[in-house]
Amino acid sequence: MPSVAERLSAAGTANALHLRGVTRMFGALAALTDVTLSVRSGERRAVLGSNGAGKTTLFNCITGDFPPSSGTIRFFGEDVTGFPPHERIRRGLRRTYQISALFTGLSVIDNVYLACRGVSRGRFSMLRPRGDDGLMQSALALVEAVHLTDVKDQRVSELSHGQQRQLEVALALAGAPRFILFDEPAAGLSPTERQELVEILTSLPKHIGYIIIEHDMDVALRVVESVTMMHNGRIFKEGRPEEIESDPEVQELYLGGAHGGGHA
Amino acid sequence: MAHVLPTTAPQRLVVLERIPTPVWGIALLLLLMPAFANNFVLFQIFGWSFILGMIALSLMVLAGYGGMVSLIQMTVAALAGYVVAILGTSGVPQISLGWPWWLHIPLAILIATLFGTLVGALAVRTEGIYTIMITLAIAAAFFYFTRQNYVIFNGYTGFNNVIPPALFGVDWRQPVPFYYLTLVCAALSYVAVVWMARTPFGLALQGVRDNPRRMSALGFSVTAHRILAYSFASAIAAVGGILLVWQNAQVVPGTAGIPQVIDILVIAVVGGLAHPIGPFIGALIYALLSVFASDILLAFGMAGERFKLAVGLGFLAVVFFSPDGVLGLWQRLRARMQRRERDLRPGNGEARP
Amino acid sequence: MGTLQNRGARHPIWTFVVLVLIVGLAWLIFAPWPPGLEQAMGRKRVFLNAILSGITLGALYFLVASGFTLVFGLMRNVNLAHGSLYLLGGYVGYRLVEFTGYWLLAFPVVFILIGAFGLLLQHQVFRRMEGEELRQTLVTIGISIVLADLMLWYWGGQSYQVLSPDWLTGPMTLPLISSIQANGEAVYLSYPRVRIVILMAAIVIGLAMWFVLNRSRLGMLIRAGVDDRDILAASGVRIQYVFLVVFAFGAGMAGMAGIVGGTFQSLSPGEDTRFLLASLVVVIVGGMGSISGAALGALIIGLAEQIGIVYAPTYSVVFTFLIMAAVLAFRPQGLLGARH
Repeated sequence: MPSVAERLSAAGTANALHLRGVTRMFGALAALTDVTLSVRSGERRAVLGSNGAGKTTLFNCITGDFPPSSGTIRFFGEDVTGFPPHERIRRGLRRTYQISALFTGLSVIDNVYLACRGVSRGRFSMLRPRGDDGLMQSALALVEAVHLTDVKDQRVSELSHGQQRQLEVALALAGAPRFILFDEPAAGLSPTERQELVEILTSLPKHIGYIIIEHDMDVALRVVESVTMMHNGRIFKEGRPEEIESDPEVQELYLGGAHGGGHA
Repeated sequence: MAHVLPTTAPQRLVVLERIPTPVWGIALLLLLMPAFANNFVLFQIFGWSFILGMIALSLMVLAGYGGMVSLIQMTVAALAGYVVAILGTSGVPQISLGWPWWLHIPLAILIATLFGTLVGALAVRTEGIYTIMITLAIAAAFFYFTRQNYVIFNGYTGFNNVIPPALFGVDWRQPVPFYYLTLVCAALSYVAVVWMARTPFGLALQGVRDNPRRMSALGFSVTAHRILAYSFASAIAAVGGILLVWQNAQVVPGTAGIPQVIDILVIAVVGGLAHPIGPFIGALIYALLSVFASDILLAFGMAGERFKLAVGLGFLAVVFFSPDGVLGLWQRLRARMQRRERDLRPGNGEARP
Repeated sequence: MGTLQNRGARHPIWTFVVLVLIVGLAWLIFAPWPPGLEQAMGRKRVFLNAILSGITLGALYFLVASGFTLVFGLMRNVNLAHGSLYLLGGYVGYRLVEFTGYWLLAFPVVFILIGAFGLLLQHQVFRRMEGEELRQTLVTIGISIVLADLMLWYWGGQSYQVLSPDWLTGPMTLPLISSIQANGEAVYLSYPRVRIVILMAAIVIGLAMWFVLNRSRLGMLIRAGVDDRDILAASGVRIQYVFLVVFAFGAGMAGMAGIVGGTFQSLSPGEDTRFLLASLVVVIVGGMGSISGAALGALIIGLAEQIGIVYAPTYSVVFTFLIMAAVLAFRPQGLLGARH
């Protein structure tokens, strides 16, 4: 596997995401400092680090919730640094939220249907009856993909926490995503649910790349092919999962010497 | 709610599937009502309930499906009534233009809907809790303006003798025809709302209610959906307003006075905001109370004029004990009965709740 | 909420326009009018009366609206019974003045009584509905209906006028020239003393509130809470105490304003609705949770109403409405409100 440096120099050819020198200040506080990062199309990467390392800020910059104080962001070769969030979404970027952002009064299938409709052209369909088979079939397929078919007609407010997290993933899969940002998808899941999540992630179509932020090293390292470690707003180490796992510096800072220290 | 699978069944049937069974029973009863109810009940109680129910339904659409509590619905209704009086015929010939019904009725609905949409445009750009304040303030401004303006609205006196046109040779203001007229309008608006709720627009509106940030992140225009919801709701309120003016045969500033505006909210809340039948239940209760309250109070040994006090206390009771209104009460009762049924069923190894 | 200086620096054109308007207005008020102007605009005395009535009415609106805006800004509670508290305070104040003959004494007593009622409401009712904003508002509606009928029952439908004490009755002369006589001597405007005194009192109260909000710990907590409720909760302070104080204060202020209104104008059923609506409009225009916003909004609305009544009686409502609509369209958070 090419080294990080080699991958960087190949930037611009097949990169889904390319951040160069991204810095984000909040007043005098530097949440991100000079982050340079490349993710190839179809690549699966984990971004790890302790709280306050800047992971969520990184996501927010990538999705466009706020602009970076300096630096550029390229998405599939296009400079999206100044684009608002919905422009990036239309280009195939998706994101899940650490605290599920679902439509609690509607059913599972309704939620997914809305996600499909939102990213499709002509979504301003007002008062047209639901004979739109194509979109509904996609929605049903998505519900199937995240193992929620049994509860598809249930209200979101009646779902368990784990099921809600699965639905959160389904929303991100709507309408031909090209790259997804998963923000702590395993938060609050039981061991069985974590296993299901791993299955869902690993069975995603190969062309969809993603970055996953996770505290649970167990889940994270099983679903990715490369890892970026952050500390105090900077990238501190990159490499393959096995390399990172056995790296003594990483162990000292994050694992406390024992593997699997991720919280439940 | 029944899930709609993509089938070849015609759309209309599917809508009818979503109407709960008790409503069909009620519908049958209502159709046959003139056979055993007297004129007063038909005109004053049911007619009025259908009309108030429609206006409260308009509020329910915005509050229940859109998460926006708007107090402008009664004002929209009154405006439609005023336009009918101004553009049509009334007892104030120096202002009324006398245009034919097929011109002034659609125009009234259009103008009132436009007004409601504009109010929506002003109200939706602020935080949700502001909506009540803004719509109440605009409703008040409308009331004061119609009271002071004599050129267009004829001030305090308003317009009298505003009656429905004698279409098909029927005097639509007679109790039985009026009953059926209001029943049909109410039924149509009910079906329209039930249908809307499952369209992409309706789903998106509910999505906007539940999580506007996510909807925006999914690519929907939150503001546009909200404003269009106001348009839809205002159209219903406008029709209700025209019927109201015909029923009273007059429109005055007090038609949309502050107590009347707030009463619509009371009706919608007491009935229940969860399903479109709620506003009509609330309206029936309100109509019955209005007509019989003095008698009820006297029966309890209290002065008949303390009607408002009784209403206020009753409303407080509802808000305290069953904030989701009569519908909520009904849901809880049904759940309890179902649970009891389950517990009593033999051989039931299920754990008790 | 940026300081006025900051805002002035950021919008030079608007600042210029506002300054020109203020200078123009000051000249209109203080300088003797040339005859041409009198022909065009009517007598200066009428103009001065309108302006002063507008300002003093604004003072009354400020007293009522300040409590409303704090309760709304901090606790997100749209208290639609606020007008009822106003009227109740007025009626009680009337009885007190009638009974004791001391106008001034009525104020602290009414403040305590109505404030205590507010305390009771917040503690027993609203606290249990924490977070359910619509439900709280519905409760306030119910309360306003009940109170309105109870007051109608006890006090009836007639108007009551609170008699101002002797030392306040009658006109006073203000250093404002209303016209120049033929012999060159200036005629000064005379204006009801009680209105000027109440204006002074409102200014003092407003400054006191500003002082408390900006210089005391309680005020800091309130301001923080208006900006971001979660910060307040996270700071470990018992926010329920802050809520109690604010609600009680708002209620007490409304009650005292009722006495003022009863003195200026009169008390009768329907005044509760009128002053509730005035509070709504003032807060919409001025910005929620902001005392200075309430002051500015009250001044604008008071002036608009009075000038409207004097110069274009059938359309004064329209002026107020247009101002409100313009603010909603161009600056939805209110003139001095913070953008959330």
